[in-house]
Amino acid sequence: MYSSLVRLQNVFGLFTTVAFVVAALIAASDFITPRAPTVGTLKTTNVQVVNGRPHYYSSKKEEYAIIKFSLDADLSSLFTWNTKQVFVYVTAEWPSSLSSSSSSATKGGLNTTAENQAVIWDSIITAPSSDHLANIGPAAMKKLRKSAAGKSIDPSRGKLTLKNQRPKYQITYPSGKIAETDNVVLRLHYNVQPWVGILTWNQDRDFGSWKQLQGGLSKAFTLPATKKKATAAGGAKS
Amino acid sequence: MWKGLSVITDSPSPIVVVLSGSMEPAFQRGDLLLLWNRNLYSETNVGEIVVYNVKDKDIPIVHRVVRKFGTGPDAQLLTKGDNNLSDDTELYARGQDYLVRKDIIGSVVGFIPFVGYVTIMLSEHPWLKTVMLGIMGLVVVLQRE
Repeated sequence: MYSSLVRLQNVFGLFTTVAFVVAALIAASDFITPRAPTVGTLKTTNVQVVNGRPHYYSSKKEEYAIIKFSLDADLSSLFTWNTKQVFVYVTAEWPSSLSSSSSSATKGGLNTTAENQAVIWDSIITAPSSDHLANIGPAAMKKLRKSAAGKSIDPSRGKLTLKNQRPKYQITYPSGKIAETDNVVLRLHYNVQPWVGILTWNQDRDFGSWKQLQGGLSKAFTLPATKKKATAAGGAKS
Repeated sequence: MWKGLSVITDSPSPIVVVLSGSMEPAFQRGDLLLLWNRNLYSETNVGEIVVYNVKDKDIPIVHRVVRKFGTGPDAQLLTKGDNNLSDDTELYARGQDYLVRKDIIGSVVGFIPFVGYVTIMLSEHPWLKTVMLGIMGLVVVLQRE
């Protein structure tokens, strides 16, 4: 029975099969591409704790940590033909205040799960093939496109250099108290988003041709006591 | 097949279709996500993209975990869409400031673009369903020859 309908069905069936096989091959090609991300420096430059409110119409007072930091990282090996975007984020991590103050949880570097983690800064790095999806203004978009004109892969985008970067998020704790927290460390993470395939995060051990992230952990520091806003304090007293 | 996947991944719906643009450019509408809901090696951590259900709301939401306080099943998690300016506190139920592990129905592990767009088309343009049913009926009738 070779009616045109059967032919159409066969063609469609072949199309979906081929599409899935090609997609699977593309996804598998990620595993044979070496990755060797490194972080040169990650250090805090200025740490403050200020009082604030969660939103404008709230009377609740909370303490917010503002952690400025410098970062120098080379993630260029994460950009391959299957990379849609790389999501880079810096977390502040600290052990719970209830547990003993020994710093075993954060010193080793092997222990990846601190008890408290909060993202203080993140960035979406699009690959040139997904630039059109980025949520930025037209001028920035033009610049972004120009930066990679004619290139389908642009590894230089993985080179990050931030000097005294302001955090995007001021972090607090559910109790509203965060000042004078001990053993806080900053840690750099990344998440590679493919065009098709599995999502991958930074590993803490080598996996095939994917090397673990070198560096990416700052020295432990202590959050300072709340800084009184000079003007507010002065106004309250007078 | 669906039930089997459900058991393996321990998630009530192991495959979801992205419905909103709040995770762009990572996920666009119509992309298919494969979920995994077991914590074999490590807990659900900051940076993972999770699908969660809010109490009294039926629509699962795909967002990234940006804060985590505490460990274990009672850890307080805060999520945010990459493309949103602010975090999800306003999306949660009234009086709820954080998610806990059991609100989450899975973390995204795999990604297939566009495939799920058919379902979005069907739910947003109900007439397409009629058309498709019509075509199927026609096929059946024609094949009876």
